[in-house]
Amino acid sequence: MNGTSIALSGFRRNADKQKKLIIAFLLIVFLFVLGQVAVSNFLSFGQVLLTIKLASFIALFGLCQMIVMVGGGDGLDLSVGYTATLTAVLTASIMNGQNANLGMALLVALAIGLLVGAANGFLAAYVKLPPLIVTLSMSLIVQGGINVYTAGADITGKPSPILQTIAAKSTGVFPNILVVLLVIAPIVMVVLSRTKWGLALLGAGTNETAAFLGGVRVKRVRFASFVISGLLASVIGLLLLGNMGLAFKDMGSNYVMPSIAAAVVGGVSMSGGEGNYFGVILGAIFLQTLTNLLVAIGWGDAGKWLGFGIVLFTLLIVYVSDRRVR
Amino acid sequence: MANNSKGARALRKYLAKPEFSTLLILVAMLILAAFLQRNFFDAKPLNRTLNAFTPLILLAMGQAVVIISGGLDLSAGTALSLLTCVMTSVMHKANPETGLYAILAAFAVAIVIGVVNGIGMGYLRIPSVIATFATSYIWLGAALFLRPTPGGESVAWFKVFYDVKVYANAPPALKAFGAAVPSALTLVLVGCIFWFVLSRTRTGRYIYAVGSNNTSAYESGINTARIQLWACVINSVFIFLAALFFVGQNQSGDARMGDPLTLRAIAAAVVGGVALAGGRGSVFFALIGAVILSLVNKIIFFANIPYAYQTLVSGVIVIIAIASSQGYTLYSRKSMARRGKLA
Amino acid sequence: MKVLEASGIRKCFGGVVALANGNFSCQAGRITGLLGANGSGKSTLSKIIAGVYRADAGEIRFLDRAVQYRNPNEARKAGIAMVFQNLSLVPDLRVWQNIVLGAETRRGPFLDDRQARRVSQEIVDQLLPGLDIHKLACELNPGEMQIVEIAKAISADPRLLILDEPTAALEKAEVKSLFRFMRSLAERGVAINFTSHRLWEVMEICDEVTIFRNGANVGSIDFAVDGRDPEKIVSCITGVAQKASAAKPARPPSPEIALKVEGLSYGDALKDISFELRKGEILGIGGLAGQGQHELLLALAGCYPGVDCLAEADGKRVRLNRPANAIRNSILLVPGDRELEGLFMKHSVFNNMIFPKLGLARQPVFTPRKQYWAECEAAIDLLSIKAHSLDMPVRALSGGNQQKIVVGRWLSFDAKVLLLADPAKGVDIGAKRDLYRYIADQVREKRVSVILYASDIEELVECCDRLLVMYEGQVIATLEGDDINEETIISTSMKVG
Repeated sequence: MNGTSIALSGFRRNADKQKKLIIAFLLIVFLFVLGQVAVSNFLSFGQVLLTIKLASFIALFGLCQMIVMVGGGDGLDLSVGYTATLTAVLTASIMNGQNANLGMALLVALAIGLLVGAANGFLAAYVKLPPLIVTLSMSLIVQGGINVYTAGADITGKPSPILQTIAAKSTGVFPNILVVLLVIAPIVMVVLSRTKWGLALLGAGTNETAAFLGGVRVKRVRFASFVISGLLASVIGLLLLGNMGLAFKDMGSNYVMPSIAAAVVGGVSMSGGEGNYFGVILGAIFLQTLTNLLVAIGWGDAGKWLGFGIVLFTLLIVYVSDRRVR
Repeated sequence: MANNSKGARALRKYLAKPEFSTLLILVAMLILAAFLQRNFFDAKPLNRTLNAFTPLILLAMGQAVVIISGGLDLSAGTALSLLTCVMTSVMHKANPETGLYAILAAFAVAIVIGVVNGIGMGYLRIPSVIATFATSYIWLGAALFLRPTPGGESVAWFKVFYDVKVYANAPPALKAFGAAVPSALTLVLVGCIFWFVLSRTRTGRYIYAVGSNNTSAYESGINTARIQLWACVINSVFIFLAALFFVGQNQSGDARMGDPLTLRAIAAAVVGGVALAGGRGSVFFALIGAVILSLVNKIIFFANIPYAYQTLVSGVIVIIAIASSQGYTLYSRKSMARRGKLA
Repeated sequence: MKVLEASGIRKCFGGVVALANGNFSCQAGRITGLLGANGSGKSTLSKIIAGVYRADAGEIRFLDRAVQYRNPNEARKAGIAMVFQNLSLVPDLRVWQNIVLGAETRRGPFLDDRQARRVSQEIVDQLLPGLDIHKLACELNPGEMQIVEIAKAISADPRLLILDEPTAALEKAEVKSLFRFMRSLAERGVAINFTSHRLWEVMEICDEVTIFRNGANVGSIDFAVDGRDPEKIVSCITGVAQKASAAKPARPPSPEIALKVEGLSYGDALKDISFELRKGEILGIGGLAGQGQHELLLALAGCYPGVDCLAEADGKRVRLNRPANAIRNSILLVPGDRELEGLFMKHSVFNNMIFPKLGLARQPVFTPRKQYWAECEAAIDLLSIKAHSLDMPVRALSGGNQQKIVVGRWLSFDAKVLLLADPAKGVDIGAKRDLYRYIADQVREKRVSVILYASDIEELVECCDRLLVMYEGQVIATLEGDDINEETIISTSMKVG
């Protein structure tokens, strides 16, 4: 039988986008409950907030992914991790623990992000190379850049206190980074669904010919999406620096694949044209919660990854698989 | 139009193929490599080169099959690691028989890996990037379970998969064979023959059809899900061959050894002219792509580029290589019914 | 001898009933036409017979045995072959590989390529001699692709051949050739089902027709017995007694020039085209298929950045190097393939209708929903689009309504020049009439100028004031008034130079 052999009920067919979000939320709650049953103190307020804080960075990188994925053309950005790392490495010594140079650091960050994003965008949108390979190679190049820099000089410097406040600290029990996320999320959704740029991007991702004939400059729009992704990635690098307190070579690289997973689990289509950032946030929280749970259960490295892979795969079956109605 | 004769047109058509630019790049790389390393083509260094290239070659060939079928396998590296861990967990140095069991066990696991990936991609229609991302963690977890730290045992005769000469107790016939044909080359040849035979069957043809246009293939009565399953299983066989080589070389298993190879294998296939969109490309040229990529690393090393710059240069070269191979494709290929040409 | 009999077939997709009570039968050696509006169920029934879909209820008897096929391959092996409307060729395989795809002969485990090439060459020689079977499918033009599709169906040696709108991509000479082939196939005892929206084709080649409406068979007409009466057929299809063609509205175009084009050239496709379009005029583009008509419209819409020409709209210079420029000058394109070029299928009706506005220069950052919503509702009323809500996804609408949306997008735009690329392709007669009536209104009341390319000559004859005949990218003749009739158009199209 072709592709219809696994008959999970009309679950997938009938779940519309709102329902998907609710289910994602319920799954997270379920995981927490499971964790509480297995290990006491898992469901404490502090733990939950800590999980969300860790997930925030995945969610932020997930925003980069969502922007390039929504524009279509098999968009994704594998270079966000090293872009962030490069920014952190370079700006750490600029700031050196002072607030005074924060502005300069921000400028440097934007410059890096612009450069990387523009290179990605040019190769992917205008030269029309596959984004997977382009951003992969770009991540190698940026990584190479970091290697060159750190070969000559040690990584020194600390983030400015403002950055640390935003990224690492909390107001009361509430992590500040979560505020950043909650502010960004509605802005992103409004821009995407209500402004002409967002609609143009969605159109380019849904049907690039129709978008082109309707007057949208598809290449330019996709180019812009990569530039925005690059800019975001480098700003996230600043936040990472603020969170960690120092910069090191592999700061960002472990966030890349989880950010893609979070986006996909959150409902962003890999072929473009649809995406909801709240879903991405929930996806990130889910992934982080899952990882925490597996660690807390005490299965060790092997069990952690095994469990992670199995759960993710199962989730994908339910959530993402695109079985055709014949 | 100056010269419209049939010969000129056929020539131009050939020049426009991505394969042509791949060959050009290969020749250029070989010349550069020979220039930088004077004894490149001598027997011993060549042998060493071959050994260094083999894992990537095998992985790239397998990856090419998956890509042609319309998918992508991000779990290839961890699958390779898992297979090495399986082998070294089954084998006991003291008991030569266990080597055989190891081979059987690893082959079985390889098939399972292919089937799981194939079901995810083909039957469940999960986008392959994310499906294999998930399964890569499953293989990683299993590998870590078997071998939390690199190690394990291997029987002595396993070394033949790496280099027959190293195995003292080899029968003379085998020794003579191994002297003439390096083991690495044998493994690659086995892979080549394996694919050559397959490409002449229905499955081989259908892999191209499914990758080119899944809907059309389905409407022609092809079981597209099963074909993608086959593609994943074929990939696993190539990974299995690479695992044989690895264990033969290192006599141990390591849950992390395959990580860097995954993306390089994909890049190698693309450099070799395989289209990421599927349906186009040659597994043999993916082999060439792997050789090219490996030569790039060698050239960087021998050109005395400082270690710090190596990753940087490598990344730039990959982009250039891919741009030129895809560039030819864009120039020559006409889209079906003017679709997509406008934007 | 009855080859196929389908009774009581029922099929639903989601909540939509495509076939309520499908009955159909056809005989060996006869060509049966299936007629009906889009959404009438005829296409669904064909697909069920061919094994693409499974019926929810009902029985199919093939060669006097009850059958139920799970996929097209099973049906093909049993002797039912269907040629699809949406081309189902694999782009990266060669013609001969495509023809035998799914049914390759083997020698042991290996493919017998020599046999495959031989068989393919035989079939192609009968259908379209001269076609190189070693070409890749993506290198063919649409007409050739359709022929290869048919060859693919023939290669299975079917007892029943189902042709679902095979002539859509063919020019008249190819259609005649296809009809000759169909007739010879019928003489060999094959039963053939044939669908087309072009009445003249159905009347020419079919021995009898079965008419569908609203998911059921509403009648059969045997031409040998009842004769060929187009009006009777149309009234059966639409359920209302009315003339098959709308009378050409009489209005003289004004002498003012809406669009002037000089020396339009683009690569090999268009060569030095010049014309003047008057206000309130309907200018047709005719000629054999694939001579550059579609490319001309795309060029006028600004789709080719490298196009070389002097264009003036309303006296003002226009640079046709990108669609946004054309749109800004009120030169609006209604693309021919709505699914590929016109619509965002999974988006809502609203999003689709306001989309072109996004490219305009002085657009507010935030799209003014309320204002646009009202405009869209007005457009839906004007065009009688059957959509129960502006938020419903466009893919849920029927083909005719989708096409109306493609046209309706431009309603609030104050069009000066409307470029219509085969607007009624694949659209049922009722929706076609609505569309052309709307266009005629626009021309008459607002003095909109229209450049119309239609693959169906009847449409050109009915609507156009003037007709440019194209051949190999050039305009070789301009026809006016009484010269616009089928014979003259065709004979002019075939002349060279």
